[in-house]
Amino acid sequence: MKTRLLITLLAAWLSQVAFAAGVEYQMRVDGLACPYCAYGIEKKLKAIDGVKKVHVDLDKGLVTVDVKEGTELTEAQMKQLFQDAGFTYRSMTRKAIE
Amino acid sequence: MHKSFPRTGSLVVTAAVGLLLSMPVRAHDPIFGLGPHVLYKGGVEIAVETATEKAGDENEQELALELTYGLTGDWAAGVDLPYVRKDDGTQTRSGAGDLALFTKYRFWRRDSLGLQESMAVALKVITDTADTSGAPPLGKGTTDGILGLAYGYESRRQYRWASIRYRVNGTNPAGVERGDKLLVDFVAGIRPNPRGYLEPDTVWLLELNGEYGQKARFNGVDLADTGGSEWFLSPGLFWTLRNFAVKAGVQIPVYSNLNGNQPESDYRAKLTLEWHL
Repeated sequence: MKTRLLITLLAAWLSQVAFAAGVEYQMRVDGLACPYCAYGIEKKLKAIDGVKKVHVDLDKGLVTVDVKEGTELTEAQMKQLFQDAGFTYRSMTRKAIE
Repeated sequence: MHKSFPRTGSLVVTAAVGLLLSMPVRAHDPIFGLGPHVLYKGGVEIAVETATEKAGDENEQELALELTYGLTGDWAAGVDLPYVRKDDGTQTRSGAGDLALFTKYRFWRRDSLGLQESMAVALKVITDTADTSGAPPLGKGTTDGILGLAYGYESRRQYRWASIRYRVNGTNPAGVERGDKLLVDFVAGIRPNPRGYLEPDTVWLLELNGEYGQKARFNGVDLADTGGSEWFLSPGLFWTLRNFAVKAGVQIPVYSNLNGNQPESDYRAKLTLEWHL
């Protein structure tokens, strides 16, 4: 009985940890040709409250952003952000990080 | 009776040309030519540029601080603060050069996967702020303007640029109306090893830069030893790491058809350190 309670508590704690890990957004972006020019994307994304990590894959045209749980990135926001950075936003996917 | 053409005017016509022809606001652009790239909105570019030019007995070196600000994703503007050293073969002087203001607007852009094509217009106004009272003069003694149009094709592996610039030169206090100048640039670049975002990246460039200058005029009369055309072949390098760039290139004259008796360009070289903040 004691062991079962301990396992239940541990599982609950682990699920909290996983829940707190956050969300990963992946954006398809066109125009990414050179690493130097992509710095503006990193700077603009990191200026958003809750953004933890930014990764740019130039060959695949993908920008991956890890954010804290509760931070939401919207299509309209990303479209404007990439326009201001000098690129073209195409689409976005969202998944929870566990 | 015509006034005699001052010696200092001659230097201003022949030198002080190459170094001031560059138009910043460039990010990933050619070393000597003009490209369409524009700094991102809210971005600050700090560039320290050294340039040197030799033509016969005349030497000119410039150390410039260039500050650029991204007004929108397609429009940037900035200021160029040069410090120059000039040697006309007999005398040498150094001091603050002519301050310049510049802007660039990208009016067309087509993006696809790993590829960007774009076009931009640029304007540079070179003010008359340098001391021209001594010899050789540190500035041109006029306010000049350069209007440029640039096309760029940038992919993960290849770069192609083409640009045209027209420089409108003013009349200096000595009464010399310096001839306008037309510049054309064709540039190819290659990235031998496409690298990831945070890795060091190298692009090799080869530029063909053409310059055609009209004759200068004094009291309505063309000056024989002014104007003409020169073409340069210019290998260059662009090395970057995240938000830091090193750009370097040398202009080697390959064709010269200058009017009258003028020193032909021996070489021009440029080294730029650039940060995006």
